[in-house]
Amino acid sequence: MGWKLWSLKKSIWVFHVNTGACNNCDIEIVDLLTPKFDVERFGIKLVGSPRHADALLVTGVGTRQAAKRLQEVYRQTSKPCVVFCMGACACGTGIFEGAYHVAGPVDKIIKEVDPNAIIAYVPGCPPKPEAMISGVVKALSVL
Amino acid sequence: MEQQELESRLSQMEGKLIGTQQTKNNRIFLLCEAEKCSDVCRFLFEELSLRFVISTGIDADDCFEVLHHFSNDQTGCMVTVKAFIRDRTKPSIGSITPFVPAAEWIEREMHDVLGIDFENHPNMRRLILCDDWPEGVYPLRKDAKL
Amino acid sequence: MGAFLEGKGKSKEMNTPWQNLFWILIFPGFLFTLVLGLLASWLVRKVSALVQWRVGPPFYQPLADVMKLLGKEILIPQDACRVVFIAAPLVGLSGVLLLAVVLWQTAITQTAFVGDIIVAIYLMVLPSLALILGSSASASPHAAIGTSREMKLVLSYELPMALAFVVVIIKTAAAVGIGRQLDMAAISQCAPVLSVSGLLAFLTALLCIQAKLGFVPFDIAESETEVAGGVIIEYSGALLAVWKIMQAMMLVVLPLFLVMVFLGGFGTTGWPLAWGVGKYVLVLVLIILIKNTNPRVRIDQAMRFFWFYCGTAMVAAVILATLGSCYGIDWL
Repeated sequence: MGWKLWSLKKSIWVFHVNTGACNNCDIEIVDLLTPKFDVERFGIKLVGSPRHADALLVTGVGTRQAAKRLQEVYRQTSKPCVVFCMGACACGTGIFEGAYHVAGPVDKIIKEVDPNAIIAYVPGCPPKPEAMISGVVKALSVL
Repeated sequence: MEQQELESRLSQMEGKLIGTQQTKNNRIFLLCEAEKCSDVCRFLFEELSLRFVISTGIDADDCFEVLHHFSNDQTGCMVTVKAFIRDRTKPSIGSITPFVPAAEWIEREMHDVLGIDFENHPNMRRLILCDDWPEGVYPLRKDAKL
Repeated sequence: MGAFLEGKGKSKEMNTPWQNLFWILIFPGFLFTLVLGLLASWLVRKVSALVQWRVGPPFYQPLADVMKLLGKEILIPQDACRVVFIAAPLVGLSGVLLLAVVLWQTAITQTAFVGDIIVAIYLMVLPSLALILGSSASASPHAAIGTSREMKLVLSYELPMALAFVVVIIKTAAAVGIGRQLDMAAISQCAPVLSVSGLLAFLTALLCIQAKLGFVPFDIAESETEVAGGVIIEYSGALLAVWKIMQAMMLVVLPLFLVMVFLGGFGTTGWPLAWGVGKYVLVLVLIILIKNTNPRVRIDQAMRFFWFYCGTAMVAAVILATLGSCYGIDWL
């Protein structure tokens, strides 16, 4: 594989976006980045700006208010990048199916901006940190 | 204040209410019409110094109901003011925000999703619906077409 | 290699451009310092991980980071001033590169020019200046906050650092005579840290280096949890890679400068070389330990710390050093 793909797999910098989540998944993501689970050994680092990020960890069902903002954040992430939908709500609207404030699950919102986006799904309500790590590592191995 | 004293002082206000309910030892409902709601809440907040907790808006089939919950922290007794708004076409009630500043946001939320107009509210703006939501569509009403 | 170095030492002016280019770009200039810098940066992360009872990243992690950044697209904000935005990281990198070349030349060949410590002090300001320029060209409110914080930080630690080097110069003048005290080769022969004023100066300079490297407790400008990346928020792709390379090289150059100026230099063969590497690792470990045991401070706390505490300590150290050199008391 080329050097670009190797270095992307070995060093993934993540940025966390909340598009209307109940904060359960957000707490688990913040847990994930503490020293107990030590994701630094996979090269994963939390960055403060989407421009530095390679992976967007998106939680929450995409509300109408957050949909445009999520698309803007996706555009500002320098490609190549991966979008991880964390949690049942992000994967497919979860329990909010058909509600008045839902603008579609996260992959529908992202595909409006970029039909060729690379999207990975980590279901769970909320997914355990171990499940998130396993999801990220599996996604990286098939890139 | 103690439960006995609370109940005796509440009975002072009988004239403004159309009924009281006490479902449990520590749960009192004061039922009133929309016009008297503001006076009753002012009595509870200022004279009895109860703590404002939250408000609830309900779309009952023939009227709107606005409940304001107050708490007597010493005994753990919740006193709820239940106001009935009979006019379903233009529901409106006096706002309690001028003397209970904490009620500002919950009244904005009730206005957004139920369409209840709060008179004398100092800052009635959109709170929880998204920016491009059409005016006049209230999602939590029973007859809302979404 | 020995003959090559001897040749460098004897006749500097007659080197071919190819030899000079090799010196600047490959060894011990850009490539050598970069490799050492990536290793040092891995060491920082690994030791921090071990202190926190976890396994850290593998040894090629900083290399993978830089390679990945080089492969991503560069996004430039619409309102940014393009020329300054792109030039700032390159200016910072060139400053660090020059400083590295000057230091290695002094360390390896023991010849330089008189007054090169002044040049080194000036060159050390260049990366911070480039950071300020780059972030103010970013057209972002977060970057603006980062810029103002970085400017205040630079204002606060430059004074104690300059005074610390004045202490060193005074002590060297006492040791080797008046004419040569501004020559770094001469400074690195004596070890000013073995005296009261020298020790104070070394500790202050260590904290100033911590601020210059942008490490906790002074990573105020780039605090990722407060201002979303601060000074480098709008940088991406290859430009961000240049900032990271600059920071990696600073991790080699600045402790090396401290070793040469305070701790008695860096040898080239045998025992002096091992001793020099040991001193460098000692300074690096001190930096890592300070980094891992302290929370981030606010900018006003940092300014008060540098100006009042470090500043008065340094004034006292200068007075002690002057007294020591006037009356011939070595341990002052």
